[in-house]
Amino acid sequence: MNKKKILKITSWVFGVLILVVLCFYAYYNYLLKHQHLPSEGAVNHPADYINPEKALLNEGFEVCNEQFICQYYNPERATYSEGKNGLRNFVLSNYKNNSYTDSGYLNIRFVINCKGEAGRYIIHENNLDLEPQVFNKDLVSQLFKITSKLKKWNPNYVRDEYRDSYIYISYRIENGNITEILP
Amino acid sequence: METLQKYCLSLLVTLLLFSCNKDNKEASLRSLKFSQLHYQGTKANLNALAKAIELDATNEDPWREYSIPFLKRGIPHIWKKHMDKAIERNAKEWQGYRGYNYLWFYRDYKKAIADFNALDTITPNFIDAPQGHSVDYWRGIAYLGLNDYKNSIYYFDKYIDKETKETGEDWVEMTGFLFRGIAHYENKNDSLALLSINKLLKYTNNTYADGNYYKALILEKRNNNDEALKFIDIAITNYKDGYYNNRPYVETLRQIYMEDLLLLKERLTKKK
Repeated sequence: MNKKKILKITSWVFGVLILVVLCFYAYYNYLLKHQHLPSEGAVNHPADYINPEKALLNEGFEVCNEQFICQYYNPERATYSEGKNGLRNFVLSNYKNNSYTDSGYLNIRFVINCKGEAGRYIIHENNLDLEPQVFNKDLVSQLFKITSKLKKWNPNYVRDEYRDSYIYISYRIENGNITEILP
Repeated sequence: METLQKYCLSLLVTLLLFSCNKDNKEASLRSLKFSQLHYQGTKANLNALAKAIELDATNEDPWREYSIPFLKRGIPHIWKKHMDKAIERNAKEWQGYRGYNYLWFYRDYKKAIADFNALDTITPNFIDAPQGHSVDYWRGIAYLGLNDYKNSIYYFDKYIDKETKETGEDWVEMTGFLFRGIAHYENKNDSLALLSINKLLKYTNNTYADGNYYKALILEKRNNNDEALKFIDIAITNYKDGYYNNRPYVETLRQIYMEDLLLLKERLTKKK
């Protein structure tokens, strides 16, 4: 078999392979963009996404990789520098129930960047049946201030690097008292 | 003749509807499968699940799967909305699972117990095991969360006795012994607490920080501080080796931390 023939066959094989890959890519793209997209209410972001423009205390806060923000629980956990007991003690010793009567879950989600700094906060307010509700403004403001004072965090460590991660603190509140701090 | 035409037309419409319905169900399953090719909670995963729901809203699976990333990420109202839909469609399969979620992710012990009890009603004379454990085990934990020791111990006893009878004591989930021991300890019944804790230590070859920690606490109450110190030292070693009770995603009930162990050690050392 001469060199020219071998080159011709190799080119054909590569050509067909490239075509197959392109077809597969086009089909996958079709599946992603059309076949498996709901006709209404398609989301443009993952479940954990926090819009930096709408988030609180985002100014001056920088993430290390906007394209890869993992979860606090994966794989080694992003944690508060003083541990869960330290977090609980800090919150409970600073929080004061100013005759609030609210009950529900006040969840504050935010990002811990690869340097262990916290920022980009968003607040979800729900009643004890987990339906949206509005809490007393003073209560929300107080708990947000306390939460944002938790400054030093241990960042997540993934694939030999410190990474950014989403995290949340959920306050279960009954008649203005914090009864649980999760997760 | 006219009546026959009407019958034929009705039959055709029925067949068409049936065929569309079947096609939609199959397409929905395809979207569900496609969603599973992507990480939970990603854009592609959520959109494919939404498509699966759109095509066949009667299938509980995409409803439940849609709810989970929101459960883990602290967005309760979206979890709740979708999880409830899954239960409306198949309570037998998912009501216990929702109870498990209420128990750990929301610490809503009463709602958790209500779900476990409802599951008993749906499947009478059968002990369900959502997330791999008996509802009695879960109820024992939920009642401990409420500090209702009587009911907590009742359900742990029920779970442990049944498991022991049917498969042998070594098949009992070891945290069943731990939590029952804690319930007895907090209920100020140290003898029964010690019995349960000793079972835990037996089946963990004495390498479980929580077991040795509670044993040290009981010995401290009995003024046996020298012996207590030995156990707290073992607990510290166990903890460093990673042998302690904890859960993924959320803190477990009565979770112990290194500082708790060190604090007890300091107290015991001072008493020496």
